[in-house]
Amino acid sequence: MSESKKVLIIDDDRDFAHAIEALLQSSGYQVRCACNGRDGLHLAKTLRPDLILLDIMMTERTEGFFMLQEARRVPELSQTPVIVVSSIYADQPIFRVSPEAGWLPADLFLPKPVDPARLLAEIRRLTDAAYSPISHAAGGRRES
Amino acid sequence: MAPLNSVKSNPPEENLVVVIDDDEIMRLSCEQILEKVGYRVETFANGHDGIRRLQEVGSPLLLVDIKMPELDGFEVIDRVRKLDPSVAIVVITGYATIETAVDAMKAGAYDFLPKPFTPGELRMIVDRGFERWRLIKEGQRLRHEKEEAERKFITLVSHQLKTPLVAVKQYLDVLLFSQQGQLPARAVEWVTRSQVRLGEMLTLIQDWLALAKIERGRCCDRGMGTQIAPIVDDIVQDQRQLPAASDLTIDVALPPTLPPVCGDRVSISMLVSNLIGNAIKYNRPGGSVSIRAFTGGKQVTLEVSDTGIGIPKDCLSHLFEEFYRVNTKETRDIPGTGLGLVICNRIVTELGGSIEVSSTEGRGTTVLIHLPVAETQTESS
Repeated sequence: MSESKKVLIIDDDRDFAHAIEALLQSSGYQVRCACNGRDGLHLAKTLRPDLILLDIMMTERTEGFFMLQEARRVPELSQTPVIVVSSIYADQPIFRVSPEAGWLPADLFLPKPVDPARLLAEIRRLTDAAYSPISHAAGGRRES
Repeated sequence: MAPLNSVKSNPPEENLVVVIDDDEIMRLSCEQILEKVGYRVETFANGHDGIRRLQEVGSPLLLVDIKMPELDGFEVIDRVRKLDPSVAIVVITGYATIETAVDAMKAGAYDFLPKPFTPGELRMIVDRGFERWRLIKEGQRLRHEKEEAERKFITLVSHQLKTPLVAVKQYLDVLLFSQQGQLPARAVEWVTRSQVRLGEMLTLIQDWLALAKIERGRCCDRGMGTQIAPIVDDIVQDQRQLPAASDLTIDVALPPTLPPVCGDRVSISMLVSNLIGNAIKYNRPGGSVSIRAFTGGKQVTLEVSDTGIGIPKDCLSHLFEEFYRVNTKETRDIPGTGLGLVICNRIVTELGGSIEVSSTEGRGTTVLIHLPVAETQTESS
């Protein structure tokens, strides 16, 4: 089996992180967790994950969002696929929080609680070599 | 003179009466009569001084002579009303000047007291003025408290209640997904039931929050113009993937030249989403959903019909009641909050339109939404 892919979960909800960590590990991923933006950014820089799962809010209302913006300024993280999750924004019509709306420099938004099958499929898709990430470094949109 | 645009930062003195009268004897009499019954009185010989004092320390009641050399009574009324409309202004009028008194009332005075007046008459008028002031303040306080309570409630519901529910459901979702093979049959069954009930709670919270937002006027924007076709397409695409829609035919036929309707994208989405969701939920295996639209005059009508279980005749009048759900054998296993149509009704009303439901039990239901055509389109897809 080829070296397993690394996923970084950044979420202040320990239970959510724990459940998703178990899900991902049982599917063969290596998982690390951080529970705030600062630690998350630090871990992201050192770990260089294949994908980041990030809660858009956390304890400060905009903590996740600002962390993501910070991360995109780091060259090594500018193309890392990011899935943003939230329970609060879960009931907005999807166009409000979809990355295409230009609001989030993320690759996908999923409402919490996340559907396990869907999450695994999306992670597989986003970490696939064939996936061309949204170029966030230049603040650009995906061309397709 | 200090600008008359400041609101006093100190709470007004609750038993202070301010008297403005150029007649010294009148000032002294008022002071004596009112202080005897417990009021505190401050007197001023002219309007400027009196108003300045009112700016510094609020007072529930102002006694002012209508006829004065410098700033006359009407001017005082005007300035004080602008400064603080809750102050009760009682004008002291001269002999036989009933028209002046009426004019003063029209200008915003609370009451008038014609000279000569007895101490009893003065006290009674002042007492009533204070009573009015207290009622106004109480009303303001209650309104403020209500808004505070609403805001706290919404925050509580959206954050504090939702977050743990989401965590619990997440555990159950992952458990069932990864461990289903290793769990005893009963555990699988009960975990599944728990997921369903939790899902209901989460949907209820979502609906309740939507309703609260609409009611606070924080949702629907009648001034915007939106094309409904792209919204319908998005939502149909989304809902087609739901398990409940797997054996249904969903047919969308919207004319390409549909004008934009009044409303913002979020509200229209909520509306369409609820209607199509219902058409799918309450359908029958192998059934169909048909979505059409027409223009008629200054209205656009969206029609969503299904070949589902329909609604019993005697239930139709209750459809827009909060938490109302048709309770029959067929509907028992269909999840729902009883708020979907309430939300639709509120949105449609806010946007200046209307909603009609017609149904035949056992055959199907048709919902018509009429929305006014927008002057211009502001929202693009």
